[in-house]
Amino acid sequence: MPEINLELNSVSKRFGGNQAVDHVSFSVTKPELIGMIGPNGAGKTTLTNVMSGMLKPSSGTIYLNGRRIDGHPAYDVTRAGLGRTFQITRALGRMTVMENMLVPGLAHNPGTKRSELEKQAQEILDLLTIAHLTREYSRALSGGQRKLLELGRLLMLDPAVIILDEPFAGVHPRLQETIYRYIDRVYQDGKAIILISHDMAAVFELSQRLLVLNHGALIADGAPQAVRKDPAVIEAYLGEDEDD
Amino acid sequence: MALFKRVENAIDASIGRRRLGYIALSLITLYFLWFPNDASQSDYYKTVFISGFFYAIMASSWALLAGIAGQFSFGHMAFMGIGAYVAGLIARDGILVAALGIQVGPDYISAVGAILIGTIVAGLVGLVIGWLLLRLRSAYLALFTIAFSELFRIMMLTEYDYTGGSNGLSLRQLLEIADVGVARQVEYYLMFFLLIVCLLAMYWVANSPIGLFLRAMREDEDAASALGVNVVRYKIAIFVFTSMIVGLAGAIFYSDVGSERIIPEQLEVLQMSLIIAYAVIGGMESLIGAAAGAFICRYMLEAMRKVVIGLPFGMTTADGSTEFVWEPGAWRYALFGVVTVFTLRWMRNGLLYPFITWFSGRDIAMKETVSIRADDEAAPDALEGGSA
Repeated sequence: MPEINLELNSVSKRFGGNQAVDHVSFSVTKPELIGMIGPNGAGKTTLTNVMSGMLKPSSGTIYLNGRRIDGHPAYDVTRAGLGRTFQITRALGRMTVMENMLVPGLAHNPGTKRSELEKQAQEILDLLTIAHLTREYSRALSGGQRKLLELGRLLMLDPAVIILDEPFAGVHPRLQETIYRYIDRVYQDGKAIILISHDMAAVFELSQRLLVLNHGALIADGAPQAVRKDPAVIEAYLGEDEDD
Repeated sequence: MALFKRVENAIDASIGRRRLGYIALSLITLYFLWFPNDASQSDYYKTVFISGFFYAIMASSWALLAGIAGQFSFGHMAFMGIGAYVAGLIARDGILVAALGIQVGPDYISAVGAILIGTIVAGLVGLVIGWLLLRLRSAYLALFTIAFSELFRIMMLTEYDYTGGSNGLSLRQLLEIADVGVARQVEYYLMFFLLIVCLLAMYWVANSPIGLFLRAMREDEDAASALGVNVVRYKIAIFVFTSMIVGLAGAIFYSDVGSERIIPEQLEVLQMSLIIAYAVIGGMESLIGAAAGAFICRYMLEAMRKVVIGLPFGMTTADGSTEFVWEPGAWRYALFGVVTVFTLRWMRNGLLYPFITWFSGRDIAMKETVSIRADDEAAPDALEGGSA
């Protein structure tokens, strides 16, 4: 089981006059299913980009398993143990599904035999129900299949912390079940998952802990039931429940 | 069509396409090895072949840089020029590095030594340019490399005291062979083996994990980086590698192997455009396709200088000749342009792509996958797709 100790200390990101992420602090120290929610423009994706090394923070520090990773290039953060998917899927179009899987496999395990990695990839693709598309170019896949491929690529990296950015967006309901199974399997493997989604039903069903962002600031961090009743969260995002 | 299918099936059932491809490649290699010994061939066509090999190296290395790694550079001819000019200047003037107190006279530098130094300098400039290009993509990268290329050409043109200006620079002769016929033969084999060695080296890179990372970078640099690929390292590495290949090819070719001197005209954007067109026609994402495309184009452009067609059935032309002679002049370049446009519009993977995929058996793999997809559609439980 991988070691997990992700720590964000007062992380901010500013674009000119726009404070996209405002002094966000939280930590992840055990395998957890964490939902990250907030209205559009709350800073969820920007925070993900900062955490994953796609953007440098304007201030603050991020540590992963004792190693400072803020400002490090994305490949370095990935190798340190933080993997992510993208809100809009970024499959490597003119490469086959297997090649898509081998890129993180070979980048993360340079000395490993290709045949071993192919076997591992095949098992993951099997779990994701796309094993029969191994030799297909990923540009030929449907949007949902590309989402699955992105999730599969992450498993080749074996990261300690996984950020899933809108994994259910535009996905067929039956395919969502596959993603549910995937999330469960990854959690059982002892990894922490940060799930960003506007699908409230899925977030509340899956998450053990919720982070709520608004105007770049973290306005709530706690158990879903407690967060649901938090007045600041209700005002900023959830609104009043008709039943209450 | 049915006959073709039957032949295809027979090949698949017996020898196999891939093996047939290797046999075809071996036969082509044997032909090239035999060609200079063919007494019926003039020295002129040996020269055309030497030039063809040189352009095959240029086009295939550009295919690696642009087609496989996605770095659409216009600086390729400039790197070639750096290799050639540095080799020429070093062999003529020696080396002086005042800061380190190093001074080596030209008498102590052999032609091979000068070529190697030219190659290394091309690689070092490639390293700097690769680093400067790190944050540039697509059109900006192309514009930067055009500017770099023109800058280098103008430098070579204006610094005529050192470079010979528009008259060009003669490099030290690499092969000092008195017999012209033998010299031409040795030059031919030298360029041919250089092409083979360069292709093997590039194939090794393209088929290694590095090749996979380069293709991932081409598709999406951010996604590749998020998958653990050190984009900075591989972007610089591919510039250094291809710059050294073309630097070496340029330094050898202009050391009186294929041409007596390097001139700034060779570094013009038009020349670079020709390299790109050769690679596009052959297949930008295939090293062998780009090399073959360049060779065939060079050969055709030469062969079409004068087209002679014997008239059948005793027919004669208006002046009583039994041969129709056409000298298209610059029109052959127009025809070449038409082929390029046709390729870009209808056969983006290059005119040789269907042959390469057929021989490699890649089209079988794709057909198999497509048939599986068709089965999936018949049994929707097996897979469900989201938004396309």
